Amino acid sequence: MKVLEVKNLTKKFDGFIAVDNISLSINEGEIFGLLGPNGAGKSTTINLIAGLLRSSEGEIKILGKNNMKHSRYTKMNIGIVPQDLAIYEDLTAFENVKFFAGLYGLRGTELTDRVQEALEFVGLLDMQRAYPKNFSGGMKRRLNIACAIAHRPKLIIMDEPTVGIDPHSRNYILQSIHKLNEMGCTIIYTSHYMEEVEEICTRISIMDHGKVIAEGTKEQLIAIITNTKDIWIEVKSVEQIDIEKIKEINGVKTVSLDKNVIKINSEIGINNLNNILLYLMNQKVEIGSLEEREPNLETVFLTLTGRNLRD
Amino acid sequence: MNILNITWKEIKVSFRDYHTFILMLAFPIILMLILGSALSNNFDKKIKVDNVHVIYKNSASQAVFSYFQSFIKEAKVAGIDFTEVADGINGRDEVKENHFTAFIEVTDKGLTLIGSSQNSIEESILQGMLTAFADKYNLAAAVVSVDPTKVSTVLASSTKHDYITEHSLRSAKAPSSMDYYAIAITTMIAFYAALYGMGLLREERVKHTSIRLLAAPIRKSEIFLGKIIGCVLVNLICVAAIVIFSHYVYKAEWGSHIGLVFLILISEIFLAVSFGLGISYMVKSHEAARTITTLVIQLVSFFGGAYFKIDHPTGIFKFITDLSPLTWVNQAITKIIYNNDLAAVVQPVALNMGVSLLFLMIAIISFQRREGL
Repeated sequence: MKVLEVKNLTKKFDGFIAVDNISLSINEGEIFGLLGPNGAGKSTTINLIAGLLRSSEGEIKILGKNNMKHSRYTKMNIGIVPQDLAIYEDLTAFENVKFFAGLYGLRGTELTDRVQEALEFVGLLDMQRAYPKNFSGGMKRRLNIACAIAHRPKLIIMDEPTVGIDPHSRNYILQSIHKLNEMGCTIIYTSHYMEEVEEICTRISIMDHGKVIAEGTKEQLIAIITNTKDIWIEVKSVEQIDIEKIKEINGVKTVSLDKNVIKINSEIGINNLNNILLYLMNQKVEIGSLEEREPNLETVFLTLTGRNLRD
Repeated sequence: MNILNITWKEIKVSFRDYHTFILMLAFPIILMLILGSALSNNFDKKIKVDNVHVIYKNSASQAVFSYFQSFIKEAKVAGIDFTEVADGINGRDEVKENHFTAFIEVTDKGLTLIGSSQNSIEESILQGMLTAFADKYNLAAAVVSVDPTKVSTVLASSTKHDYITEHSLRSAKAPSSMDYYAIAITTMIAFYAALYGMGLLREERVKHTSIRLLAAPIRKSEIFLGKIIGCVLVNLICVAAIVIFSHYVYKAEWGSHIGLVFLILISEIFLAVSFGLGISYMVKSHEAARTITTLVIQLVSFFGGAYFKIDHPTGIFKFITDLSPLTWVNQAITKIIYNNDLAAVVQPVALNMGVSLLFLMIAIISFQRREGL
């Protein structure tokens, strides 16, 4: 069963095309990753799906119903975890979840039970009487999730839910997503953290400049670039390195810098490692380590767009 | 139900912002105290006539002086002390040195009053009393010359001690400075709700909670109404607290028709919230909207007499003061409290609601057109 169908969706803001004629289809039980750098159109797409924005063109169907014509029905079945924390600092954790769940028609003991269930799910039941202003960043993120799931939506949209939190909270949230999925929820997950998307998503769509540039499972996406390999060279200093010079070396397709690591994507079958190392030695660059890696989603993204996700 | 849910949330969130709430209460209470105390002379029309010390010198015959002695007795009742000048003392010098309020010289030809410029009010009162006494004496003298048997009747009918009778042109009740500022500051604070109204929906955008509100299966109008009702109630509770405090602590007069007074205050808060909300949609920049709202609040407060009472303005100044909602609200509340003029409620409520609807229409139209809140 299709939980979401997006057909030829376009959104324009005063002439600027934020989402450009995209089509998506998400089945029940999927964790669908929407991957792309800042400004790729992920958040706009999500806002269109959640009914926060009106599309300029195209159609969105949630559980088979048009989200504009049947907005009450579709909204009842969506839970949204916004990228920015969307909670009231002056309401307790319990009151926050209760207020938002109350907007979905829940009342009385059913409401109380659902609120406690949601808080327990995110590990905040013991803190239900506490104010979020006293919470850590990770706890606030978990409360942000609890506010979106108390009404038991069929489709949960998570927009970068792990931004700026500690590894422990991040792992907790990723585990929670798996659990929600096991409970039958379909999830749309946007992130520019490649590792997270690789870890939890069953299918991924890569967006750039408002368009879907590739879609499929992780393996299908990597298969697009099977003729290349990744070379990661850790160096002590990157100041003397000219990326353009490395790109000129035969077989090198893309080069990027991630802190002190030079990430090179190169064609398989061309032995150019000696030339790369020679260049670095000539530049008096001290090499820490060198690793040949299998291509990952980041390589895919780099190959498709020519830039890093976090650029 | 969603409206109630949002209203209740609005009230809880507002009252838990302790700092703002305390400031909202403390500011008017302190201002009331300062203005009510500092400007009390502008309102207090009573002059106490006691401790008036008069020195006199008698150079008259016993017959004339006996009448003056009766005057001394009657004046003592009004708190005026008379001391006869001792030998070797100059009465004029005593007054000059401010040992006495006035010096009276009694002769057979009449009374001479010499007062001190430092006690002009007391001197005027004394002069009035002496004039009344002299008139009575002259009347008796005139009666004696015509029919001496009737003089006792004339004097008997003139034994009243009150040489001065006050006839006030004002109503029995009149506001003291504290009464005035209790009303003026309360209505000013009610108008400060405009600032709250201005940030009403912006607050949800800043907290990003607007996303959740819009993603929920509720109508935009429910969000709008719930927030406006909550905002009006929060401000009404603040205003009610100020009214109660001013009544019990400052003993400010709020009259016996408090329901009508609150009806006017509610309509004023509604006007202020609608105005703030309207401005927030009319002006794109939040900073510009805030500046405009603050400026309007200050002008409305000044011309509405919140800081200084404006008596009988004329010309263009009257036109400007009449434009201030505080003018019509304060006048109506004063009429209800001091004149029991219950019909005075109609005009300010009608005006407030009319202007509110205008600003609300602007906000609603913009709100419906806009994506998001």
